[in-house]
Amino acid sequence: MALIELRKLNKIYPNGVHALVDVDLTVQEGEFLVVIGLSGSGKSTLLRCINRLIEPTSGQILYRGQDVTHIQGKELRQYRKKIGMIFQQFNLIKRRTVLLNVLTGALGSLPVLPSILERFPDNLRQEAMEKLRIVGLEDKWNVRVDALSGGQQQRVAIARSLMQHPEVLLADEPVASLDPATSHSVMKYLKQLNTDYGMTIICNLHFLSLVRTYGTRVVALKQGKLIFQGKPEEITQEWFKEIYGEEAEEVEIA
Amino acid sequence: MGTETKSQTTTAQKFQALILDIFFGIYFVVTLHRVFYYQVLLSLRKLPPVTVEIVLLYIGIGTIMGLALFFLNASPGKRIFRQLPDIPWKKAVAEHFLWIIGVLTIATGWVVTRVSILDFFSQEGLAGAKRIFSALLSPEWSILPQALLAIVETIYLALMATLFALPVAFILSFFTARNLMRQSPITLGIYTVLRVLVNFTRSIEPLIWAIIFTVWVGIGPFAGTLALMVHTIASLTKLYSEQIENVDPGPIEAIEATGAHPMQVIWFAVVPQIVLPFLSFTIYRWDINVRMATIIGLVGGGGIGTLLMQYQGLAQWHEVGLLVLIIAIVVWIMDYLSARIREALV
Repeated sequence: MALIELRKLNKIYPNGVHALVDVDLTVQEGEFLVVIGLSGSGKSTLLRCINRLIEPTSGQILYRGQDVTHIQGKELRQYRKKIGMIFQQFNLIKRRTVLLNVLTGALGSLPVLPSILERFPDNLRQEAMEKLRIVGLEDKWNVRVDALSGGQQQRVAIARSLMQHPEVLLADEPVASLDPATSHSVMKYLKQLNTDYGMTIICNLHFLSLVRTYGTRVVALKQGKLIFQGKPEEITQEWFKEIYGEEAEEVEIA
Repeated sequence: MGTETKSQTTTAQKFQALILDIFFGIYFVVTLHRVFYYQVLLSLRKLPPVTVEIVLLYIGIGTIMGLALFFLNASPGKRIFRQLPDIPWKKAVAEHFLWIIGVLTIATGWVVTRVSILDFFSQEGLAGAKRIFSALLSPEWSILPQALLAIVETIYLALMATLFALPVAFILSFFTARNLMRQSPITLGIYTVLRVLVNFTRSIEPLIWAIIFTVWVGIGPFAGTLALMVHTIASLTKLYSEQIENVDPGPIEAIEATGAHPMQVIWFAVVPQIVLPFLSFTIYRWDINVRMATIIGLVGGGGIGTLLMQYQGLAQWHEVGLLVLIIAIVVWIMDYLSARIREALV
């Protein structure tokens, strides 16, 4: 059974923008799926529809065969817990410490009141330290997040999502704000989660070179339509022009 | 889509232009007749009474004028929305009409507020001014202890009003922040009702609230505190909620994606972003409240304002001079301190 299945997914924003047009997509467990396309092609919308941060206008979202298109409240929160997410702008709580930010990843499994009083159980704190070790930041646990570099912040965000024990990790342009060297380091952590822990990764990317290095499968969006599905090496020059437009030139990331 | 919204705005603007034209027409007739004709041309001291017939006549002639201008496309309303067709003489009519309205307004203002250069520079007037200024400049120091006690009362009154208002405004601000409340029609309904209520409360000056509360709980500092509190709740709610509307939505998405409860989302993604601005607004508000508290005292809200009112009533201008001096010093210190604290916070 497919892990995630999108059926005829459409999203029309209140301002009339048709961001997703009849998208059909199946994601198998253990894939490293890369979504490419120009800015505004609907990549971010697609990702956010999967964990329902954005409500699709029509269509269906199936997770392990279960329809999750219209679940609400506690059911929706339980579903979101299974899906970690990292962002282009990292989206951390800037004025707080690294450890607290990682701990917020576990909020979905914590009762509301104690968590708001920031009474996190000791085993959770230990677990958060372990996750920080995975991303190589255990010595920074007590540093304020806004004192870290971009690459370090993205690794904190990864550690935060790991606290959810996610089955899937959604990565929305995870390296678009980072320099090339840092980009590779962050992508390597994602690859490691994919190969060592068998986590399914769905990742929006700009750079084709990164796609070829890390992706196991690629889909391309253009004006909200899914126009390509295949292996990274199947993206020929013709497909590249089709996806990015006639004027586009491929840029290598070192 | 684009053309549709454009045509929508132009119909709305046409309607607004029509309303404006009718308003200008009536306004023109009324000011021309009652101010320019009676008071400027005839220099009447006492105006003839306004009868129903006259009012109807004003409305009738004004409306006809407005409609005529509107449909002849010499409409001042359309001119304001830049929707006049490019016909020079019609444009000129509309523009000259607007200028005449402007001149009439200033003339009306002059007459209504009884601006009189003569009074200002009269022998008697200047002597009075000299008397009061010299008295204000030689304050009566013997009432200093009484004055200090009163200003302390005012400062605490402002502080209590701010502190009581703070938690209420804090909670209300989340319900009046559009970005948090637009999820469902129910929350949007709550948002709209609260927003209207807050704006209405805020538009009533603290002075008027003070009058209401002096009737309610009697003259004294408590009435003043309540008046300031009500107004502070309304303005802080507005300031706070605008801050909430401006938070970075990124962390909200991130915490939502972890499967967190909405309360946890607000606490971890919204609150850390607003704590410092809130603190800064609150201190600023206390500073404003000290100033307002002196004014509120004038209608019996307690503190130094009430004292000022008493001495003013007795025409003891030397004592008034001391009170004014103390108010000025305290307001200046509060202003300075609050600016420094806010600088340090941001």
